[in-house]
Amino acid sequence: MLRFTRKYGFKAVQEEFSLLSEYKLKCGLEIHTQLNTKNKLFSHSTNDPFASANVPNHHTSFFDVSIPGTQPKLNLEAILFATRLAVALDSEVNLSSQFDRKHYFYGDQPLGFQITQHYSPFAKGGSMELTNIIDSIDQDRLQIDILQLQIEQDTGKSVYRDAEQMSLIDLNRSNVPLIEMVTLPNFYDLKQIRSFIKKYQNLVRHLGISTGDLETGAMRVDVNMSVNDNCRVELKNLPNTSSIMSAVKFEYERQVDIIRHGLTSSLLAEPETRGWNGAATVKLRSKETTIDYRYMPDAELPLVHLSKEAVAGVRASLPKLPDKTIKNLMAEPYNLPLKDAKILTINASGHEQQYTQKELLDFYLESFKLYVKQAGQKSSKLLTNWTIHELLGNLNRLNLPLHQAIKVLPPHKFAELIALIQQEKISNASGKLLLFHILEQTKDSQITQPVDLEAIIEEFGLSAVKSVDHEELMRMCSEILSSVTDPKMLSGITSGKKKNSLKFLVGQGMRLSQGRVKPKLFEDTFKKLLNANW
Amino acid sequence: MSLKNAISRLGRVPAVQKQFNVFTSLNHNAEEELKKNDLNGQEAARPLNNLLCAIKDNIATKELPTTCASKILEDYMSPYDATLVKLLKAAGAVNVGKTNLDEFGMGSGGTKSHFGPTKNPLFPGKDMIVGGSSSGSAAAVAADVVDFALGTDTGGSVRLPASYTSILGFKPSYGRISRHGVIAYAQSFDTVGIMSKEISTIQKVFKVLDKSDPKDPTCLDESSRAKLQTILPQEQRSKLRIGIPREFTPSGIPASSVKKFLSIVEQLAAQGHQFFPISLSDIKHSLPIYYTLAPAEAASNLARYDGVRYGVRDSKYDSHNDVLFAPTRENFGEEVKTRIVLGNYNLSSEFYNNHYIKAQKLRVELIDEFDSIFALPNILTGSKGNENGVDVLLSLSAISEPTSISEYETGDSRNPINSYVNDIFTTPMSLAGLPTISVPTGHSGEPVGVQIVGQYGDDDTVLNAVKDIW
Repeated sequence: MLRFTRKYGFKAVQEEFSLLSEYKLKCGLEIHTQLNTKNKLFSHSTNDPFASANVPNHHTSFFDVSIPGTQPKLNLEAILFATRLAVALDSEVNLSSQFDRKHYFYGDQPLGFQITQHYSPFAKGGSMELTNIIDSIDQDRLQIDILQLQIEQDTGKSVYRDAEQMSLIDLNRSNVPLIEMVTLPNFYDLKQIRSFIKKYQNLVRHLGISTGDLETGAMRVDVNMSVNDNCRVELKNLPNTSSIMSAVKFEYERQVDIIRHGLTSSLLAEPETRGWNGAATVKLRSKETTIDYRYMPDAELPLVHLSKEAVAGVRASLPKLPDKTIKNLMAEPYNLPLKDAKILTINASGHEQQYTQKELLDFYLESFKLYVKQAGQKSSKLLTNWTIHELLGNLNRLNLPLHQAIKVLPPHKFAELIALIQQEKISNASGKLLLFHILEQTKDSQITQPVDLEAIIEEFGLSAVKSVDHEELMRMCSEILSSVTDPKMLSGITSGKKKNSLKFLVGQGMRLSQGRVKPKLFEDTFKKLLNANW
Repeated sequence: MSLKNAISRLGRVPAVQKQFNVFTSLNHNAEEELKKNDLNGQEAARPLNNLLCAIKDNIATKELPTTCASKILEDYMSPYDATLVKLLKAAGAVNVGKTNLDEFGMGSGGTKSHFGPTKNPLFPGKDMIVGGSSSGSAAAVAADVVDFALGTDTGGSVRLPASYTSILGFKPSYGRISRHGVIAYAQSFDTVGIMSKEISTIQKVFKVLDKSDPKDPTCLDESSRAKLQTILPQEQRSKLRIGIPREFTPSGIPASSVKKFLSIVEQLAAQGHQFFPISLSDIKHSLPIYYTLAPAEAASNLARYDGVRYGVRDSKYDSHNDVLFAPTRENFGEEVKTRIVLGNYNLSSEFYNNHYIKAQKLRVELIDEFDSIFALPNILTGSKGNENGVDVLLSLSAISEPTSISEYETGDSRNPINSYVNDIFTTPMSLAGLPTISVPTGHSGEPVGVQIVGQYGDDDTVLNAVKDIW
């Protein structure tokens, strides 16, 4: 008899991926997030898991290293952070949760167990909504239900030196607080997964409880998935969004293949855990090799008792949630397009930004209020554009944090600057020069007080020429035209065939007038001189 | 106690050590420390000045090794002192050395130590067991080389050796003495205990150690201590209501022990104390509950000994047949391995809602039953106290008297089940965290101890009752 074997698990992801309607994907997520509390979960050592590169095993107390005779001491800040998240997700906070021990041996697990919450987790239920408008999923809206939130310890880190047949262990991360959030299997396409991760990342950043970065491992995502309700496969070791997406695609195709070949009873009969090696999902554990964690309530740590009032207090102290802010910004009086509203609300990454989202949003809202008073609501788009493009652009270029810039250019000064432009008291070009100049001086600490805009405008002679001398303008334009060596260009403008060349001439005029004459005036004058009637 | 007296005691240490194997390591600066304390006039006022003590070797000390009498921690030096070690030092006590024990506190004979069994000083030359697990601490007191010794009591480890050596062994209420630095065997039971021949010494030492400690989450905090003060009797009662639990009078107890117990009852009755028969039917579950919970906690607590960060590590391999750290953990003694296996069995997920959780529920029921017979409220459970309840309970400390080491190691007690039965009188108080002291019934060569047990937090009543017996 002929036999042929297929090696499931070694098939590259196809370029063109699509979900097939007869093979239904069902996914749930399990997300671990490091809380950026000052101290670790059960000790007073500094919570700085990223110090490892320079100083391994530096932020470790006797307890973190499991020195005999030491005991855990619960960090209440972690409880506060967890409460913030639970409340933001509408989860029901367990007013008396408990810590349990989960046993397994590993080199970077100093106690021989992890302290987690198994029998009575911190919060249950809750949900997060994804919408087409805000999160760009294909459906109008999709509610992702949350099963539970639990607080637990992170492990240390193993660094494998295969060549030397050695692993190095760094316990800086050991006992760092984590919150594990588990969703129900509500996802059925990839966009939903991607959007949820992004939204959840932004939420923890917004709440100020985590950097939310996948790259550093501050956030780690496991995916539970099944196809056509076959057995569940758990995907682990997914370091970033693209590997999450690739792993789900690969695993979907692998399972579809198995189903198509009628091999479900042998290959998809039992739940298994698979990892991602960059090209394929590979089996890590199946039922036979499952670890029995021998859960046990921790005999030393007391129950975490919270009062209803404490939870209500946390609820009241929460900042407005991002979806709500976006909706507000897109409505009257701001009327921002989604893209701009998101820039003002959603933190693209947890760090390497010159501002926190709250700083930026507050700055914008305050500037908006003051600007509208001076310039009216109609031209508010100008303020938005200047905030998002000019201001942020300059901050990034200069590596200048917003909070520093605000000292020199507080909202009322910024609003004043934009109002001056709007009222054509200075030209757009002068405004740009001025803004850059102010920020550059701030960066170099040459200005430290709120700037006196009028004085600077005066100093640089930037105020727009109020009434332009007609003769003077004609003279400047003639001069520019006489210096043009390409007569074809001029005739092209006259005939209207080379309309863009006119812009070149206007640019020359702006330079000659140091931007103090509005471009429109130059445009009109050149057209007149060249008899261009278009 | 005088300095001269203390120094002469120190002089006897080497001989006692040679004869009874009391210590795992000795403090060679003890004499110097005594003299230094004495010279410093101001410090002479300290409550434990000129007192010598011994510390069980499962309590962390910076200056001497902390081995738990286990090969796995042979030569291990703790980077810090346990809270109680600091308190004793500050009070002027001088530590003579670390004392032998059943490895990690697991055992009732004092025989299961990596450093060999401790021998009972009451029977020189006869190689009799001391009882465990605080065997060396009991022996040090019995041999008169220290004024007091610190032990730990998980299921009777202070009271049983005290009974076998005719000394006082006090297990305070759980949570009164900090466990920070006490190496956990089963920390929902582990209690630091004080052993001495003098009740006044025990009271003095207890006063020094009875402090809150933010480093130990199970140590009573200040607010609980304040609450405790509000429910405790303002004045010590001169006439006590004493309960004798029916369940503590099983058959098979040696007639000599029963006789001594009854003579104590008569002695107390003659002093005007009243006796009441009581029943605590849940006591019969004590051993199964204890031997479900304690080994489970032990299996968990001992998971840290993998040799990676401290302690002994197998020189060649970190795993055997894919079992991580098996070669290193091979270094545990047999009794410890037995209890780790038992503990893991109890925790395994095969049993729906594992045995541990069930046993915990039964433990709560037992505590409720104790609450129902005591007159005093219990601040931990919120029990209001029984108006017609008793002040203390009285029972024997052990079902037997000490045997020879060879008999203990080869006889029926070698069977774990039999040796565990020995704990029947001591485990109920451990399960409920009750203050209990074992008091000798006489000075004879047949050591038999009786236990006085009080309601949770009522340690003073228990200690004060001793004077009517001892």
